[in-house]
Amino acid sequence: MISCIEIALKPDLFDAEAASFKKKAFDYFDIDLLDVRTINLVTLEADFNQDQLLVIKDEILTNPVTQVSSLSPLNFEFDWCIWIGLRPGVRDNPASTAVEAVEDLLKRKFQPEEGVYTSKRYAIKGDGLNREQIETLAKELLSNPIIQQWQVFAADQWNPETGAGTKPAKVLLDHEPEFAVLSIGSDQELQEISDQRNLALNPRDIPVIRAYFLDPAVRKTRAKTGLAEPTDLELEYISQARSDHCNHNTFQGVFTYLDRETGETCIESNLFKTYIKDPTLALKDQKSWVVSVLWDNAGVGRFDETNNYVITGETHNSPSNMEAYGGAITGIVGVYRDPMGTGLGSRLIMGSYGYCVGEIDYDGPLTPPLHPRRLLDGVVEGVKDGGNKSGVPTTFGQTLFNSGYMGKSLVFVTALGIMPARVKDQPSHEKATHPGDLIVMSGGRVGKDGIHGVTASSEVLSETTPAGHVQIGDPYTQKKMHDFLLAARDEGLYGFITDNGGGGLSSSVGESAMISNGCEVALEKVPLKYEGLDMWEIWISESQERMTIAVHPDNIGRFMELSAEHAVESTVIGTYTDTGKLHIRYNGKTCAYVDMDLLEKGFPDWEFDAVWTSPENRGLMEPVLGEPRDYEKLFCDMLARPNICSKEWISRQYDHEVQGGSVVKPLVGVNRNIPSDASMIRPVLDSKKGLAFSQALLPWYSRIDAFHMMTCTIDEAVRRIIAVGGTLDHMGGVDNFCWPYIGYDPIKNPDGKFKAAQLVRACRALKQACMAYGIPLLSGKDSMYVDGHLTGGYGESVKVSALPTMQFSATGVVADFTKAVTMDSKMDGDLVYVLGDTLNELGASEYYELMGTTGLKVPEVSFERFKVVYKALSKVIDQEIVASAHAVARGGLGVHLALCAMAGGLGVEIDLARVPKDSARGELRHDTLLFSESAGRFVVTIARENRETFEKLFKGMACACVGRVTNDHQSLKINGFDGNPLVDLAVATLETVWLMPFAS
Amino acid sequence: MKEVKALVLTGFGLNCDMETAYAFELAGATAQRIHINALVNHKVDLDDFHILAFGGGFSWGDDHGAGVVQALKLKNHLGDQLLSFVEKGRLVIGICNGFQTLVNLGLLPGLDNDYRARTVALTWNDCGNFRDQWVTLKGNEESPCVFTKGMTTADMPVRHGEGKFVTDKKLLDRLIANNQVVFRYADENNAPAKGTFPMNPNGSMDDIAGICDPTGRVFGLMPHPEAYNHPTNHPDWTREKEALKRQGKSLDTGLTPGIRIFKNGVDYMASIL
Repeated sequence: MISCIEIALKPDLFDAEAASFKKKAFDYFDIDLLDVRTINLVTLEADFNQDQLLVIKDEILTNPVTQVSSLSPLNFEFDWCIWIGLRPGVRDNPASTAVEAVEDLLKRKFQPEEGVYTSKRYAIKGDGLNREQIETLAKELLSNPIIQQWQVFAADQWNPETGAGTKPAKVLLDHEPEFAVLSIGSDQELQEISDQRNLALNPRDIPVIRAYFLDPAVRKTRAKTGLAEPTDLELEYISQARSDHCNHNTFQGVFTYLDRETGETCIESNLFKTYIKDPTLALKDQKSWVVSVLWDNAGVGRFDETNNYVITGETHNSPSNMEAYGGAITGIVGVYRDPMGTGLGSRLIMGSYGYCVGEIDYDGPLTPPLHPRRLLDGVVEGVKDGGNKSGVPTTFGQTLFNSGYMGKSLVFVTALGIMPARVKDQPSHEKATHPGDLIVMSGGRVGKDGIHGVTASSEVLSETTPAGHVQIGDPYTQKKMHDFLLAARDEGLYGFITDNGGGGLSSSVGESAMISNGCEVALEKVPLKYEGLDMWEIWISESQERMTIAVHPDNIGRFMELSAEHAVESTVIGTYTDTGKLHIRYNGKTCAYVDMDLLEKGFPDWEFDAVWTSPENRGLMEPVLGEPRDYEKLFCDMLARPNICSKEWISRQYDHEVQGGSVVKPLVGVNRNIPSDASMIRPVLDSKKGLAFSQALLPWYSRIDAFHMMTCTIDEAVRRIIAVGGTLDHMGGVDNFCWPYIGYDPIKNPDGKFKAAQLVRACRALKQACMAYGIPLLSGKDSMYVDGHLTGGYGESVKVSALPTMQFSATGVVADFTKAVTMDSKMDGDLVYVLGDTLNELGASEYYELMGTTGLKVPEVSFERFKVVYKALSKVIDQEIVASAHAVARGGLGVHLALCAMAGGLGVEIDLARVPKDSARGELRHDTLLFSESAGRFVVTIARENRETFEKLFKGMACACVGRVTNDHQSLKINGFDGNPLVDLAVATLETVWLMPFAS
Repeated sequence: MKEVKALVLTGFGLNCDMETAYAFELAGATAQRIHINALVNHKVDLDDFHILAFGGGFSWGDDHGAGVVQALKLKNHLGDQLLSFVEKGRLVIGICNGFQTLVNLGLLPGLDNDYRARTVALTWNDCGNFRDQWVTLKGNEESPCVFTKGMTTADMPVRHGEGKFVTDKKLLDRLIANNQVVFRYADENNAPAKGTFPMNPNGSMDDIAGICDPTGRVFGLMPHPEAYNHPTNHPDWTREKEALKRQGKSLDTGLTPGIRIFKNGVDYMASIL
């Protein structure tokens, strides 16, 4: 029986959701809606009698104070009604919690064929609205065809008895699970299999795979289990393990690098080893605080004597581009499993985000799957629900806009955890699987989710096919699992844990079984969301919120008991062995039997040609620009630029204080609206220590040279940490590469060799910066296909590639968090200092972008000179003689002096002639000094009485007192070289201009 | 002084349990974080505790109205025990999701000795979104609330999407008359915000941020006192520290207003044990 309960806010209450819809309809589509009400629908397919339905309606679904509800359609008048529901198989979190509540209340379990489905309708009133407009709103604003379906009803089409006529979005797979044996008679045959099944096998891997399965010795042992040629499951396993995502083939590939300037060619045989692994291991030897790097799901550093912190960062780009909310929530919830699966598991303590999307007001001919504005809305909301519902503070984040991200937007998510250094007297960062350990899967169930990523999106969908390729993360299920696993960890109930992410069980079991050297899995034991999955699908499904755990048989009883107490589903699905074989059965029948070391069998390295042409020879040059006359207008226009202006609306939606350890918040200043340099938390509430965290993104510099993009990005992240009170003594890094495809193809990727050269140069810069500043790379990831093919105005397809992008995250452990410093100028009469030289380095700056030009002189980092300044600044912060400190970043000194002034709410007077400068790279005019983005600089304020001590410490360095903070007026006054005012703008005006672009 | 024992609920998507327990410890109690199922399955006895804390979080994902399913679960399995806990004169505090749960349980507002009726609600913020910001709260000195004795003002963060206090006019008048309105959102001069955003961050009726039952022993509030457990939690602390330094003073590391709430509760309980 199908019943539908409708619930809505009482008509006299303000409907904020409807108001937001109404506003967006007007802002984005210029469609004026008079009135909108939101109605929630809960469809039940189960045999409940009328009394039971009333109990469900009244006790669970309706708040008697604020809501009305009915078992038949609610009578809200409308001109148009839009109904939005999920496609079958899309994760419906409210439905799952409704099932839990109904089962608990009525003490009755849902049967497999029964279910709950939620949907929504909007009752819309408006003058002269036509169907086309309403359908636009349904399609472009309220739903995404990948996960949702919609219907539009005109008032005269509405049947008040049947309403939206909602049918359950039920998955029906009329399919008997099976596996296939595939003939691989020739390389071509295997290539065809790969193409048909979307295995994406590298052509060079194909002979190796065939040689393995055709090896007589292999065939002999396989024959014992009844297998000969490979099964689909085995090929899927190999495909997953050999993918660039899991194996990092690009970074481990061989690059032939030609420098066109010098004519020299060199071979880079393994970028990962040369530029990431080797320096990190060298630094690990020098720095006793580095606990565990390079092998686990995340890196581990020492926090204090009894606790270690854990960090990793990821991207979730492709899914977010198809379904922004689902992709982003899956991304943040997914990255949160990495610290949970690091060592013996850590407790999550913070997260951060980085969004790179196309131009926010784009109105050109290209049609990305989602407009940047809508994509950003969805992504912001996804991380909000994922982060907030995980109970983890989101303390830092950045958002930037660039046309290169129209092809594919970037969604960076970063996660930190903390764990006791020892668990049951064992080091917590070590873990192993042992023969005889049980393989346990905990958390969510397995469906067709995420199988082969987005390739499935081109398939035609029927009413009951699961929309499996796009997922919706479920932070609630994961939070329960998180709490359970920490309790199990502390009781010492398991010896190994890892998460199920890309590649699902294929990766998590496959990789963990390498440690014990074998496993036997009974696939029929894996709990499924719905019946009808083939074996290979169960094996590689990326269904979320699952962990794989190795439990000794002695502990399994207690483990399961604790799991039940926490309402978490856990299932034994097999055993780790030491047979050297990956052995998978389904109801006793073998469907995979391969050697654990198969993946080490001489697969060839990927090869790339890299050709570097200098910016000069690419035709870049400094623009011919005369000095501006109207600096005040220029200031205001700079502050209002999308990449500079306030994004408070994003930070405010994120709980950045849960767990009670907030020290430096994402927003600071008198009006609590200026982005701080870095965040600081107390992950251990009774400790004196603090954990500082920052990130930087400067992809624009890649237009000139990705080498300097990399060094400047790292330098900015480092300075941000220093500015809040961190030191170079403990500076950890996480590198997240996002690059356009670097494989050369004369037609499809004609500049592939250049992009490859940029990657090589960026890696060289990464090592140089890490060694210079002493930053071990605690973790890192790469996403190497940041390109999109968009349809243009004439139906042509246009390839759009992103700028080579590095998101660099930095961590710092601070000895005493009460010495933390924020960037707001604080007291009347304080002196303003600028540390670090300004050079003529406007190349790829925000200022040049405003002028519509790129230029040539990109900022360069002088590690040795900068380091001296950073150490001195750390020292004065430790001595508590610094009132405020701020790293000068995108937009240059002008923008950042304005931010310091706005944050302080006091007047600031600056004499530009006194700013430390270096003419080594060319003449310095007023605009150069104000908007050059030279690295290595800070704005610092101190009390007058500390002047001597301060200046003594910075003697011989680029450091000058450039002005003062004042309460005589509330303006930013900047005098030019001749002593005449260049800028005299009220701080309130600056703030208004800066807040305006996203104010609503 | 007798040992005051506080129980902080965990599980099913709740969070804030670590810092809430920490706050109780700072306030002098011993605090235990207990999974809801441990109470439901009678592995832990509620009666062994003096203070029950419903903390923040997203219980059951808050998918059907914040705190609704949590209230249902507790009512279903522990209903009578909760009522007798209150009847015995023990203390209950609900913070954010916990406040939402208390009003859905009916433990608040508890008028006419009815601790089961749902008569007030915390619904979606007028701003249409989850919001994390610090608010200034005006304390009601006439309130019987044992947790807020002597507190005329306090700053604390709110972090919620559903914090708008709603009830009917008649009931509101009774709550006001009974001094059951404990905290109101206020402006920088500690005058009620009169609905002005963002001082009143959610559009709550009469700027209501927290209420208690007529006895003052059951207290619910949307702001998070446990998130102000150290002076450095306050958004202005670095400016405050700098200003004090110029006067030759240093940051006061005594009890924060957040911890005072817990301490008032613990001291009250200790005084009657």
